[in-house]
Amino acid sequence: MNCEEYREAIAGDPTEFFPGGAEHSSGCEECSSYRQELRALDECIARALAIDVPALRMPELPAIDAADNVVGIGSAPARPSSRITSLPVWAGLAAAVAVVALLFTGGPDGATDTQQLVREIIAHMDHEQSSRQVTSVPVSDRTLDTVVDPEVSAMDPDIGLITYAMSCVINGHTVPHLVVQGEQGPITLILLPDEEVGEAIPLSGDNVHGVLLPVGSGSIAVIGQREEQLGEIGEVGRRLSETVEWNI
Amino acid sequence: MNTSADFERRQRFERLVTALHGVLYRYAAWLSRDPGIAEVVVQESLLRAWKSLDSLRDDDAAKQWLLTIVRRENARYFEKKSPNMIDIDELSPSQSAMIADTGERDVDELREAIYELDDDYREPLVLQVLMGYSTREIADHMGIRPGAVLTRLHRARLKLKAAIDASGVRIAARDSG
Repeated sequence: MNCEEYREAIAGDPTEFFPGGAEHSSGCEECSSYRQELRALDECIARALAIDVPALRMPELPAIDAADNVVGIGSAPARPSSRITSLPVWAGLAAAVAVVALLFTGGPDGATDTQQLVREIIAHMDHEQSSRQVTSVPVSDRTLDTVVDPEVSAMDPDIGLITYAMSCVINGHTVPHLVVQGEQGPITLILLPDEEVGEAIPLSGDNVHGVLLPVGSGSIAVIGQREEQLGEIGEVGRRLSETVEWNI
Repeated sequence: MNTSADFERRQRFERLVTALHGVLYRYAAWLSRDPGIAEVVVQESLLRAWKSLDSLRDDDAAKQWLLTIVRRENARYFEKKSPNMIDIDELSPSQSAMIADTGERDVDELREAIYELDDDYREPLVLQVLMGYSTREIADHMGIRPGAVLTRLHRARLKLKAAIDASGVRIAARDSG
């Protein structure tokens, strides 16, 4: 092994665990010095790579039987047919007006099971705060297709820039949790094909301002972080109500 | 799955994740060069790992198994983009945080130089230096030949050495053995 070969090899593997390495460096002062220099560099590289690690946030782990079906929740036991086609425009507009009015005035109390759902949604928002980042980086179509299983639900992909998509468990069901970038900040959308609610229900908590909207035999949660977003949330809710379909 | 089995499965998963979360996050962060994206990628990876935990026969292989999942999730995230081109003068707050000053000039200079390395050079370096992977393990993980791994590592170190030399900062040998 000559000096050139040694230096090329040591730069690939500074541990010197390559044939002829130790023999060469022991007889070549310059290469030995080069090795020391690279090891010092590597020690510094290791410290440079050791960036701070945030606290572990364990994701909500679905029950394994449900987990097996995350991608294909459409294969879950069949429910009564509830395919929704697009609602008429007038219905969407009426819903928007109702939603905005509800958001600013508060709404009627829901049934106990609905309140449980509301608590779970708000708790989930606390749990996944990092999802609500201002970013221009979209999720891949593949991720989106995985999370929003077309066998279960479909939504207008032009709803906005979707920057987060995750399958999450809420109220025992694995559901799509999306974040779309609104004009005044990120807006969370949670599609709940299995959660029928009788009326729009306001969602309110720390950094949680939104609404749970009835859509056919399911519902959708539309949530922002600030009260100023409520107008935009109403608009997004209206558009989603018009376009979302449950295919189960 | 019965309650007891489910409990044991959760315990096993949490034990593995708690032990390996740091390396998973750092790997994801250096792949994506964005701590915010890294958190999303790790979360997604953990969920996928949970779903397929039963395919992991040997917990001693968990690190490699989880890093492979993180690599795939990162690729999914960037499927339709070209993450290689990042202008270091126009970083988002999240990206900037990754190369924030540590108070050690040599570390800061190197961190920025690593940040600017092409993915092809940065990833094997992270796997070797941070994860302790052998050349063969890096080759298997990245799906390239061992010779290509060594070439990339050699070039990566030369680039980093050149960057440090150009900055005028001297690296003090702390533990050069």
